[in-house]
Amino acid sequence: MTSRRDFLKVTGAAGAGLVLGLHLEARPRSGETTKTAFHPNAFLTIRPDGTAQITVPKTEMGQGVRTALPLAVAEELDLDWSKVEVVTGQPGPEFKSMQTGGSTSVSTTWTPLRKAGAAAREMLKAAAAARWKVGTAQCRTERGFVLGPDGQKLGYGDLAGAAAKLPVPKDAPLKKAADYRLVGKRTPRFDGPAIVTGKAIFGLDVRRPGQRFAAVLRCAVIGGQPKAWDDAKAKAVRGVKAVVKVPTGLAVIADSTWAAFKGRDALAATTTWEEGAARDFSSSALAAKMKAALTGPADDARREGDPAKVLAAAAKVLEAEYSFPYQAHATVEPMNATTALSEGAAEMWMGSQSPNRAQERAAATLGLKPEQLKVNVALIGGGFGRRLGTDFSTEAAQVAKAAGGGPIQVVWDREDDLRHDLHHPATLHRLRAGIDGAGALAAWTHRIAGPAVLRSWTGGQKAPSQATTETNGAYDIPYAIPAVAVDFAEVEAPTPLGWWRGIQIVPNVFARECFLDEVAHALGKDPLRFRLDLLGNRGIVKFGRDKADIRRLKKVLEVAAAKAGWGRKLPAGRGLGLACHAYDGRTYAAEVAEVSVVKGRLKVHKVTCAVDCGLVVNPSGLESQVEGGIAFGLSALFSQITWEKGRTVQTGYHDFPVLRLADMPVVETHVIPSAEAPSGMGEPPVPVAIPAVLNAVFAATGKRIRKVPIEDGLI
Amino acid sequence: MAEYTLSVNGQSHTVEASPDMPLLWVLRDRIKLTGTKFGCGQGLCGACTVHLGGEAVRSCVTPVSDVGTKRITTIEGLDPHSAHPLQKAWIEVDVAQCGYCQTGQIMTAAALLARHPKPTDRDIDQAMGENVCRCGTYLRIREAIHRAAGQRKEVAP
Repeated sequence: MTSRRDFLKVTGAAGAGLVLGLHLEARPRSGETTKTAFHPNAFLTIRPDGTAQITVPKTEMGQGVRTALPLAVAEELDLDWSKVEVVTGQPGPEFKSMQTGGSTSVSTTWTPLRKAGAAAREMLKAAAAARWKVGTAQCRTERGFVLGPDGQKLGYGDLAGAAAKLPVPKDAPLKKAADYRLVGKRTPRFDGPAIVTGKAIFGLDVRRPGQRFAAVLRCAVIGGQPKAWDDAKAKAVRGVKAVVKVPTGLAVIADSTWAAFKGRDALAATTTWEEGAARDFSSSALAAKMKAALTGPADDARREGDPAKVLAAAAKVLEAEYSFPYQAHATVEPMNATTALSEGAAEMWMGSQSPNRAQERAAATLGLKPEQLKVNVALIGGGFGRRLGTDFSTEAAQVAKAAGGGPIQVVWDREDDLRHDLHHPATLHRLRAGIDGAGALAAWTHRIAGPAVLRSWTGGQKAPSQATTETNGAYDIPYAIPAVAVDFAEVEAPTPLGWWRGIQIVPNVFARECFLDEVAHALGKDPLRFRLDLLGNRGIVKFGRDKADIRRLKKVLEVAAAKAGWGRKLPAGRGLGLACHAYDGRTYAAEVAEVSVVKGRLKVHKVTCAVDCGLVVNPSGLESQVEGGIAFGLSALFSQITWEKGRTVQTGYHDFPVLRLADMPVVETHVIPSAEAPSGMGEPPVPVAIPAVLNAVFAATGKRIRKVPIEDGLI
Repeated sequence: MAEYTLSVNGQSHTVEASPDMPLLWVLRDRIKLTGTKFGCGQGLCGACTVHLGGEAVRSCVTPVSDVGTKRITTIEGLDPHSAHPLQKAWIEVDVAQCGYCQTGQIMTAAALLARHPKPTDRDIDQAMGENVCRCGTYLRIREAIHRAAGQRKEVAP
């Protein structure tokens, strides 16, 4: 661990202005216990011309880190936001942990970024004070200038060189929230102007001199390999330069993406496959295994009291099964990466949520050390967890290695992207509720059966935290119930898996919050009142590794319900439904959906959301995440990936539909004012959207939907 | 392989391409205009939308041989100063999340405004219905179109 003293250092050379390097505490890696040399992993530069550059250690995928993180620095430093430039770091010794996921970017960097900004501010003030021969305390800062006691005024650029020669203050005071000028105000996305003019560079937009393009012919069956092929027809396509075998299939290299696709299609017509062991895998076979696993052995995630005994003695037992399908990420920018090889070194360009892993694995593929592979992190055309995977970047390195020569961009098409996604797996849920003689919910059991996503992250190993990870959202059920058992029964499947926006919390909270709604109705209780009563008058409650503040959860529930007009009279065929969750015990979200069902067609009119994520850095960014998270959840109501003969049935947006503009409900976001440190907002709005809508469907129609996607004719 | 002379954003470009090469790849790989995006290659997501003779088309399913002498306008040429009312509204309303689909959204919206300078919500639903945004920026897209059409007063993003 870097010592606290080394948190901030001047790292800039003379003439460059003031360059501060700061070390953001990443989660320490195992074995990394002793003091190491100072490795700054975020940078703040104030140039002589007064512009400021902030290097962010996280990847931008639409969640707004290239705006929110620089805002924290700019606030403390009193920068003129219009003079701020933002660059994304590159994985390596300086940026050791750029991994971006789990809604953690703001929460892990907020304090150190502010401290860096505050330290730089004090240094600039000290430099000005020395020049004016006044006390530092007599100086103040405003929008890129230091102001002296007698009307003196100097821009940061004029002071940067002198400030760089001063010691870095250890504990520069941080602003009070009441003095914030940027934080808490609506700031449009930093990359907005580049995006709307087409100048923003995503991974697929990288164009290097002499660049070629590659498409890979992969077996549709998971793990299948080409057995025999004739590359003559592919090579006859104008523009095709080469066909090479790579571990994932056959790569066609061409002078345009189109020629690579055409060559790939010509090659496909001549290729026979060794489909391998997964050729018999199907969704129906998996469903049968999951069904059997509902009654077999399982790993406990939480066990309190004696649910079996309470259920046996209960006055009434309710039981239901819920199911959620495989889902795809379906980012609009398909997977891609570009590799350029040179003597003893290489350079790659990619949109990656795991730049360090991608670098390590691609370097190993190329026989290089990680530091010999420069990785440029491009903007990401949709992440949602998909680009935490390194399959596509490693494959791009494999193609470059096999083909040799200049830069090659490997481009996946839509079918490649959907078929060879790192899918989020299906789960089957069995829930039981025991009602005692007094009509109280006395026991709750939730068995979840399905493939384990965590194994995709642990090299196939079963991690000690598997049961809690796979039951996230279920094991941390926040309601006060005397006897609770939540467990996970793993079912093997050959499908490559990955994290998805909202992870397992999405299916688990869907089952939990819908079944709780069933219990409320069975007891003749109002679903809001029932939840509030079950949450009770409690404070911070621990669930294994997590804890949640029940007061904050109740507050979002009450606010969402009040703002949505919970309890008001609605016309026939219209209904309100609600759901809530404390995401990893850090972000609290409740949503109320208003829906109607007309001639079997579901229309979601409005979703009213209340959130408590601590202090809000950028309200516009926060509301974007709420709107987008709800859209992502609603989309999942109608999409699924199914498997037949070892391959996905779905191949594109025609059979894996995503939400369109006309189906987007009005979204109203209410933020609970908070002085708590900011948490995260990328994922928390997703899981509650689905149960809120399905509970509203029940309110509107009396029909209980326990299976996603909603089947035609079901409502 | 044939030679095509295309009018792109008011400039003439002569490119070599097979007749079936979609305009998308001519723009991206030959002319290096990467503001027009590849999303699905099947005309289902709208990321590749450009204007051909003023009409919004899906460049991923438009063979270069069909283009002829029609004017091609891409996001890079939508406005000489990159300050089309839609581009300004998109920034003010803070529409973009990841931003990948937004150039296609703006090109589709620009064609809509050319036909319907004061579109209703229904007009917007219909015109924008085939443009996918996986980040879910739809409410802001609608807001920004109304705003560019002068149908909204100053609103915070």
